[in-house]
Amino acid sequence: MGVVLNAPFPRRRRLLNTIRNTLRHLFLDAARAWIRNLGATGPALGSMTLLLLLSGLVGLTAYTIQRLAATQASNAAVLHVYLRDDAQPADVMALRTKLSADRRVAGVGYTSKAAALQQAQTRPGMSDLAGAADENPFPASIDVKVRSVADVGAVAGSVGTNAPVDPILPTSYNPGASDRIQKALLIVGIAGAAFLLLLGFVAVTVTANSIRTTIMARESEVAIMQLVGARRWMVRGPFVVEGAMTGGVAGLAAGLVTLVAGVAVVAAGRSTFAQIAPGVDARVCALAAGLVLVTGLLLGSAASLYSVHRQLES
Amino acid sequence: MLPTSILLGLPALVELVGATRQYGDLVALDDVHLALRPGELAFLVGPSGAGKTTLLKLINREIRPSSGEVWIDGMPAHALSASRIADLRRRVGVVYQDYKLLPKLTALENVAFGLQVSDLSASDAEVHDRALDALEAVGLGDRAGSFPPEMSGGQQQRVAIARAVVSQPAVLVADEPTGNLDLETAWQVMKLLEQIARFGTTVLVATHNLDIVRRMQRRVLTLVDGRLVRDQPAGRVGRLAWASS
Repeated sequence: MGVVLNAPFPRRRRLLNTIRNTLRHLFLDAARAWIRNLGATGPALGSMTLLLLLSGLVGLTAYTIQRLAATQASNAAVLHVYLRDDAQPADVMALRTKLSADRRVAGVGYTSKAAALQQAQTRPGMSDLAGAADENPFPASIDVKVRSVADVGAVAGSVGTNAPVDPILPTSYNPGASDRIQKALLIVGIAGAAFLLLLGFVAVTVTANSIRTTIMARESEVAIMQLVGARRWMVRGPFVVEGAMTGGVAGLAAGLVTLVAGVAVVAAGRSTFAQIAPGVDARVCALAAGLVLVTGLLLGSAASLYSVHRQLES
Repeated sequence: MLPTSILLGLPALVELVGATRQYGDLVALDDVHLALRPGELAFLVGPSGAGKTTLLKLINREIRPSSGEVWIDGMPAHALSASRIADLRRRVGVVYQDYKLLPKLTALENVAFGLQVSDLSASDAEVHDRALDALEAVGLGDRAGSFPPEMSGGQQQRVAIARAVVSQPAVLVADEPTGNLDLETAWQVMKLLEQIARFGTTVLVATHNLDIVRRMQRRVLTLVDGRLVRDQPAGRVGRLAWASS
């Protein structure tokens, strides 16, 4: 016995063997270990799924708010000058000419009573109201695009005494409303970002603890690997892949729920969302779901890297 | 009984130059100078707490010396970066008193595991063949499919030895390899280590088993309180005075 211990290594297909063994060690063995340890990983997986789902929904909400803010900013620079029903065309033309000549004004348009009614009927809840009246209750208007939101008040003041202008509600200008909305949106945006950061921190902590538990459960295996000369990446790699799998599976589940929930809500409130959530559609929901998946993968990998570094370096 | 390497003037595979290791104020190893050549089998003896395990850990780079140098097969273990420790450990096989086998793997898989992680370029067939060869070399070819809990202590230790040598390390260190074995089994394990040394591997065995040390008549290094107090050449029977203290 013992005559073969110093026999030379046969040299065949070394490179292919190395690639195959590396992939098998990193991914196949990691997948097997992940499935084997699913009982221990389960709570982390559930927590991370929930956190990622919340992140996805908060993200969608944040996007909606951002679009609302953009729409609001755009609308704030448009001033509607409402016209009396008996306004003379010559007076209207004179006012349009006067406004067009104003350096603060970027453009001037006109909406007739019929067009105003048509627009109102496309708005949620307004079609019934518009139809309830005997005659068209919506006034014609001159639509003024002001260059700077700060000048809207001054332009509104300059048209208040003109003959064709409605004396009861001369313009759509509402001092302070735009500022209040912008401030509210900013506060909501900051709160949303802080909430997302908090969720990310909790997700990383939960996953890192899960990986640490896994490493501790396989302490003897890790110790033997190190003692027989396994390289650092061979010891650490599979744990990182396992973390990425936890994050990936959580991200996939959360992403799917985000997609389904987002599409369902958009479909259910399509008429309402045309006003409340401009630009949020199935494509945006799918993008949010994809981001949730990628975030899960990255969070899982990063948490594992952190945990492996701390646990194996100590 | 001098190893051929000494007769041929071969360089030392293991060399400690003034190696000292401290744990706080405690000096576990104190200014040890030592050289082991290829094919040499040496015993490391001394009372508990003398520094035997510390010395073996220095060789396997589980710890760094506080001062001094440790050279293993030409590699400076004392100055190795963390990323190069694996390179050194592939040159050093380790056998422990408690075997350190994975209980859910068969004997063959335990040996193959050692080879798979230390040599990624080996094919499955190669790994299987070499692991089986190693098991046969330690007399356990017929127990390849057995799990460690199904085997005796001596058999488990032989599996551990097979795992340690399957990747053909230049150096083999064993920490109390016979500590859990009866005298007869311990003797078989020591003969196995002697056979491994005969094929050119440097073998250093830390042990309390003085019967075996006397019978083997190999080089004996005696550590007391972290100091190498005696370096007894092979072929002589020393007094091992520390044993009576």
